[in-house]
Amino acid sequence: MTDLPDTPAIAGSVCVVGAGPVGIALALRLAELGRDVVLLEAGGTTHDASKQDAYRGTVTDPALHYPLDEYRERRLGGTSTIWGGRCMPLDPIDFAPRDWIPDSGWPIGPDALAAYYPDANRLCEAGAFAYTLDAAFPDVRKPMIAGFAGQHFTSDTLERFSCPTDFGKRYRDRLAQSPRIRVLLGAAVTHIALNADGTAVTGLSVRTDAGATVPIVAQAYVLATGGLETARLLLASRDVQPSGIGNAHDVVGRYYMCHLAGTIGAFHATGAVWHGYDMAADGSYCRRRLALTAETQTAQRIGNFVARLHHPRIADPAHGASVLSALYLGRMLVPAHYRKRLADEGAGGIATTARHAWNIARDPLAVAGFAKQMLVDRRLAERKFPSVVVAPKNNVYSLDFHAEQEPQPDSRVTLGEDRDAFGMPRLTVDWRYTRGDVTTVQTALALLSDDLARSGCGRFDFDPDMVETEMTRYGAYGGHHIGTARMGDDPRRSVVDKDCRVHGIANLHLAGAAVFPTSSQANPTLTAVALALRLADRLQVGAA
Amino acid sequence: MMRVLVLGADGFVGLRVARALAASDWAVPVVGCRRANAACRLERIVLDATDRADLRQAVIGMDAIVNCVAGDARTIVANADALFHAAADRRIVHMSSMAVYGSAIGMVAEDAPLLPDTNAYAVARVEAEHLAEAAHNVVMLRPGCIYGAGSAQWSRRIADLLTLRRIGDLGANGDGGSNVVHIDDVVAAILSALRTPEVRGPVNLAMPDAPDWNGYFLAFARALGEVPVRRVPGWQLTLDTKGLAIPLKLAEKLTGRLPPPIPPSLARLWRQDIRLDPTRASVALGVQWTPLAVGLAEAAAWLRPRSDA
Ligand SMILES: Cc1cc2nc3c(=O)[nH]c(=O)nc-3n(C[C@H](O)[C@H](O)[C@H](O)COP(=O)(O)OP(=O)(O)OC[C@H]3O[C@@H](n4cnc5c(N)ncnc54)[C@H](O)[C@@H]3O)c2cc1C
Repeated sequence: MTDLPDTPAIAGSVCVVGAGPVGIALALRLAELGRDVVLLEAGGTTHDASKQDAYRGTVTDPALHYPLDEYRERRLGGTSTIWGGRCMPLDPIDFAPRDWIPDSGWPIGPDALAAYYPDANRLCEAGAFAYTLDAAFPDVRKPMIAGFAGQHFTSDTLERFSCPTDFGKRYRDRLAQSPRIRVLLGAAVTHIALNADGTAVTGLSVRTDAGATVPIVAQAYVLATGGLETARLLLASRDVQPSGIGNAHDVVGRYYMCHLAGTIGAFHATGAVWHGYDMAADGSYCRRRLALTAETQTAQRIGNFVARLHHPRIADPAHGASVLSALYLGRMLVPAHYRKRLADEGAGGIATTARHAWNIARDPLAVAGFAKQMLVDRRLAERKFPSVVVAPKNNVYSLDFHAEQEPQPDSRVTLGEDRDAFGMPRLTVDWRYTRGDVTTVQTALALLSDDLARSGCGRFDFDPDMVETEMTRYGAYGGHHIGTARMGDDPRRSVVDKDCRVHGIANLHLAGAAVFPTSSQANPTLTAVALALRLADRLQVGAA
Repeated sequence: MMRVLVLGADGFVGLRVARALAASDWAVPVVGCRRANAACRLERIVLDATDRADLRQAVIGMDAIVNCVAGDARTIVANADALFHAAADRRIVHMSSMAVYGSAIGMVAEDAPLLPDTNAYAVARVEAEHLAEAAHNVVMLRPGCIYGAGSAQWSRRIADLLTLRRIGDLGANGDGGSNVVHIDDVVAAILSALRTPEVRGPVNLAMPDAPDWNGYFLAFARALGEVPVRRVPGWQLTLDTKGLAIPLKLAEKLTGRLPPPIPPSLARLWRQDIRLDPTRASVALGVQWTPLAVGLAEAAAWLRPRSDA
């Protein structure tokens, strides 16, 4: 692993731009397949504010979207240096064209990824590719919600957790050891050069830390720069194709999706509830959730949706849980993003504080146990206990939901007027959601309430009028940058073909969630990695 | 009947080879042992396998020799020197080791350069292979890590470490290729080599598509019922190799035995991404490889009564 030398040109067989999880997975697999790879990474091995500055941009509505230099990291390992590690594959329905969701449908089906998911899972260190209770825990039969038999929801699928693995740290040695891979750090691609008729990439311009501009030449190029930066690079390279590369039909940067997430309502459970983690034989943490079935999505004409049981509002001492009260009173000690949410729950008066103190006094052992878990299983552990899970004494839970956002062309990223230190135009993000997105969440929650009531599991109360407020309370769900260079068969309505190759350009491929035509309920990284492994095979076929 | 002298027959591999030959209908093993009181019912010669004169004497009347002598570097070299000078053109199946490839990484076939850059053991193994040039009819088997019932190193020790959760999922520290090979497959390869005189020179022995060490540990832990495996942080393994991390006394109290050490060389091996190419063993010696799950179940069954006690 080296800093960029001042040689005039660096040649390789495949040039991969971006060493996040996607670029690293791709480079490792290409090398296994016998290809020589140059992996270009703009950042270094640590967070560097001056490098991160290139990510700054403008957000049209700051209430709806976080600043662009947050929730992504410009350094070796990319955003996996700060991710949460939640993994799950897409559902089969995500690939299907759905007449009730405009612009839905992938040009590939679930079969295309099936062969790659297990290896992607391994690279993400999320254990075996087993996402149902039956497959992952054949012997565990503790139900998530006793007696639950939903018509619309199932409770037997899982999400699995990565360590969370920092791909830079985890695979650094492997990258360095491979005789076929050259990793260049501090190598920021600023321009993609095309031949005169715009049918092939002839090289990349790379800015080094020292300020030199170095050309890089390869047979094939793959952008793995994350969902926002990929669009930016394509749009900013406009000397041959004036609207930007692959953008003859004004698709690049459009259809920008995140996820719609929030915490809502109160589920008053009547029976036993297990909303904690199970540990798989391979050591990975797994957790069950409530997933909306494909049949109901189709019948109700709504998007994909999952929900998890969450502890109740911490600020309200009625939960009776000493751990939650301790968290509330000790909120200055918890991580910043968590503290923000706690603060939003409103501070109580002296009476509230006293009731929290009483909760703690009644069960101090639970607090001690929790503190030990946070220290041993989280702070000191390399595989970290993923989140705070506390069983409330009153058996009342809130619901954490994570819903698909539909694709729409008006939700988009464009180039702004400002430029970064390298002279590259900065991005402007105009993220939007639709009525349909609100309907998906409202309908799904109502159906879940029905399912719970009909199964005799208890009452789930929520205010449908608060759905939109809750799902946008923190704006677009952070860190998932999807759809800005979508995959499709029709070059007029998509940017890459089913092999992730930019339409009309022989040797330019895109990897990452930018190419997803739809967002699913699933967090994107596992699928983005699987798709990158598939791309490695496709590049191989093309070269043979 | 082929008379076969088995050297190192008091060791793990030698003993198994001698038994397999005794059970065959085409060979008679004669075991060469250091001590007369070695508890075996087979025809026996007491000898010092590092002594030229002893070996010159011992090979008289033998059709072939299987050399399973192990030990420190000096023993290995002296034994090779004595044996290969005594052997003339008798068939010799010589147990070498993947150690001859040293710190090589990637897929390694038999024509890869010998690289004794890791330790004195590797240097001795390479020197022994060079000494084999004095003989005319030698096949040198280069096994990876031999596991299965009876394997102290790659079954018992690993099981102990897994049970103590000192190893498990090692992350980047377990990315190396395990190159495991089941003892039955090693014995089969040796017997096949005795009967396939046209095969000479080096032959790698490791199961095809052997898992990396993390994969081996997980599969073995499953077979042992020692799951979930623990993700062992790098800092802990580092401390452990330096002998500090484990409160050894406590562990000793719990298990009644001194827990095995993890020397730095072992930790290095777990990281080394070397993959032995087993094609020659498959094709030329016709080895049918024991599936990992089968081999690990057998190893676990061997260990079980002990852990119940
Ligand atoms: C707080 C948080 C929590 C998250 N939790 C989860 C989760 O639980 N599950 C999940 O699936 N996902 C999660 N994510 C999202 C996940 O981090 C991303 O999906 C993933 O990192 C995307 O991988 P990537 O390789 O495509 O992009 P990135 O990780 O962003 O990597 C892109 C790389 O390209 C480099 N680069 C960019 N531009 C250039 C250039 N011009 N030249 C050279 N190099 C360049 C960058 O430096 C970076 O290293 C989370 C994100 C955040 C922020």
